[in-house]
Amino acid sequence: MLQKLQTALAASIVSLAAGVSSADAATTVKFWHSFNKSNGETLDKIIAGFEAANPGIDIEAEYVGSYNDIIAKLQAAIPARRAPDAVILEVTRYGLFANNNLLTDLTSYFDADPLKEYLYDYAREVGVINGRNFVVPFNSSTPVLYFNKDIFARAGLPADTPLKTFEDISTAARTITEKLGAQGISGIAAPGQFARWGLVMANDSELVDPATGEILLDKPNTIEAYQWMASLVKDSKVASPDGVTEEDNGRDAFLAGKVGIMMNSTGNYVGSKRALGDDLVVRPMPCNKTCSVPIGGAGIGIMSTSQKDVQDAAYKFISYAASPEANATWFAGTGYLPINKKSADLPVAREALATQPGIDVAIESLPVAHGRARTTVVTWMRTTEYKMWEAMALGQRDVDATMKDFAAQARAEEKRLSN
Amino acid sequence: MLRKLTPYLFVAPLMIFIALFTYIPILASLNLSFREWNFLSPSMPFVGFRNYEQLLASRELWNSLWVTALFAVLSVPLRLGLALIVATHLVRESMHVRLLRGALFLPSVTSTVSIAVVFSWVFSTDYGMVNALLGVFGLGKVQWLQNPHLALWVLIFVNTWKQIGYDIVIYIAGLQAIPHELYDAAAVDGGKRLHVFRRITMPLVMPTTYFLLVISIIEAFQVFTIVNVMTKGGPAGATDMLVNLLYEIGFVLFDIGRGSALAVLLFILLVGLAILKSRIIGRKVHYEA
Repeated sequence: MLQKLQTALAASIVSLAAGVSSADAATTVKFWHSFNKSNGETLDKIIAGFEAANPGIDIEAEYVGSYNDIIAKLQAAIPARRAPDAVILEVTRYGLFANNNLLTDLTSYFDADPLKEYLYDYAREVGVINGRNFVVPFNSSTPVLYFNKDIFARAGLPADTPLKTFEDISTAARTITEKLGAQGISGIAAPGQFARWGLVMANDSELVDPATGEILLDKPNTIEAYQWMASLVKDSKVASPDGVTEEDNGRDAFLAGKVGIMMNSTGNYVGSKRALGDDLVVRPMPCNKTCSVPIGGAGIGIMSTSQKDVQDAAYKFISYAASPEANATWFAGTGYLPINKKSADLPVAREALATQPGIDVAIESLPVAHGRARTTVVTWMRTTEYKMWEAMALGQRDVDATMKDFAAQARAEEKRLSN
Repeated sequence: MLRKLTPYLFVAPLMIFIALFTYIPILASLNLSFREWNFLSPSMPFVGFRNYEQLLASRELWNSLWVTALFAVLSVPLRLGLALIVATHLVRESMHVRLLRGALFLPSVTSTVSIAVVFSWVFSTDYGMVNALLGVFGLGKVQWLQNPHLALWVLIFVNTWKQIGYDIVIYIAGLQAIPHELYDAAAVDGGKRLHVFRRITMPLVMPTTYFLLVISIIEAFQVFTIVNVMTKGGPAGATDMLVNLLYEIGFVLFDIGRGSALAVLLFILLVGLAILKSRIIGRKVHYEA
């Protein structure tokens, strides 16, 4: 008995020692991201592919919530010295970290990487601030317009109903609400922040000028776009206020077949397709005064606080994540835009294009897609915009006065941040 | 010498714990309130009273103070009043009563986030249970969480539902401590039920009421989770209570200096309220029958 115990103990010590030595050999990259559900499953596949190809690197991936959550947790983690090595950062909000020298300047990595040649121009641009590369794109997107064909049919709207201008959308949403409102179906989901930004651009304006950084929140076309968006909730009541106070409620209601139209990121394509099947139709965003959509999504940055060998390993991973194979898997599994010119030729992407109608709408929007400002004040502006939108959409504050007040506050904040 | 040191050695572990997790953070917060910092910048320049000046000049602070005071004034008497009424009916021991006490206490030990998420759906305008119920009676949809006049009442309801079980248990303990002879004497004298309640129960349960009052006012001024999950301070600031504002300034906008200044102001306010309560109500508390 004692001998058996001794043998078991010795075996345990040997296996423990072996485990420790193999753990020592691997470089661990702690990676924070914002993908769960079906998108999270696709990311897991990419990570597994990378680890199989790079046995010396272990990617310790952790879902930490939305883009907003990542920003909040990262800011708290940095002074506590608990920051990850690599992190997904939304394309308009990484400037805060880059400007505080907390992100590694990836220019030298990127310049030496053949990947650079194969990225689309729009994707290459999202990681650059003042000529230096701070993030490598991963999940790029534009907003698109989704609608439920079955709800349209039940409301007497043909599948080719024009949805090109604000008026077209209002008319369709009104028809759905009038015809099906009694069954608990609303015309449209209140637009989320990404879609709101897109609708401002479709009205030939911007929130912040991407070239000069000028704050354009009080420009007449911006105000006009917000007036229309707010009217969907407070005046014509074709959008549920539930989607104003909690943005995801609008999306969830659309997925549950309770809403006719939704404007949202192309990254929702696969989830929507799974929920609605053949009833899902995808169209480009409206072109009210012009055709222009924002490029959204996120890239992966590397923290400057990490060890050099970990940074090198992290770069290997983010370069792999943007490679044709990984990007094709990501595109087919989520609906996010392809960022690598070579991914569309791969079988997995070809199959997605052939079998998933509408997945290409965002790709077709690329000629009118534009990068957005990523000055330091944008982080503050995006946070504050939620409150402003809520007050306007719920009819508690006048749109014109609110946007002018918002612009004044944003300018004051920009001044404070620059001091 | 050792004999003299012994009591200090006994309390030392606790004192060290309190110092580490209470006093040092308070002092650090006080220090940060005079500085400008965003968690990321390597320097924390001293800015004097600028954070306090900006806070006191901001509309948000006064709105939050008003909303928090309103929440406290409306929710605390409701909580304590209801708890006392329920406790008087649950003071006698029986199997049913024990089960009911357990059921009422359950929300107190349930995760606040879970409660807030569930009630967000219950009070949802288009997909909520409450509006569905109103619909059965032919009534229209009510924007519970989007109407600034109603949202605060919803939060008061949810907070009361969560906390009342704790108040009831404490009140039951207080009621059980009242000597039964007093009630027997009142019965001999022909005292009416309401009269007995006003003249015997209320005064003798006053120490419990005072304790719960202090606790619940502090809780009301520190309410955060329900607000953050259900309304995020909206709509239009109608439920933007002090701790939610503090969280937004400190951990959403990352203005740590201003957030710390607000924490210091909240601390001063709560200490002031505690002193005021002890001066006004403390004198009326009798600890012996």
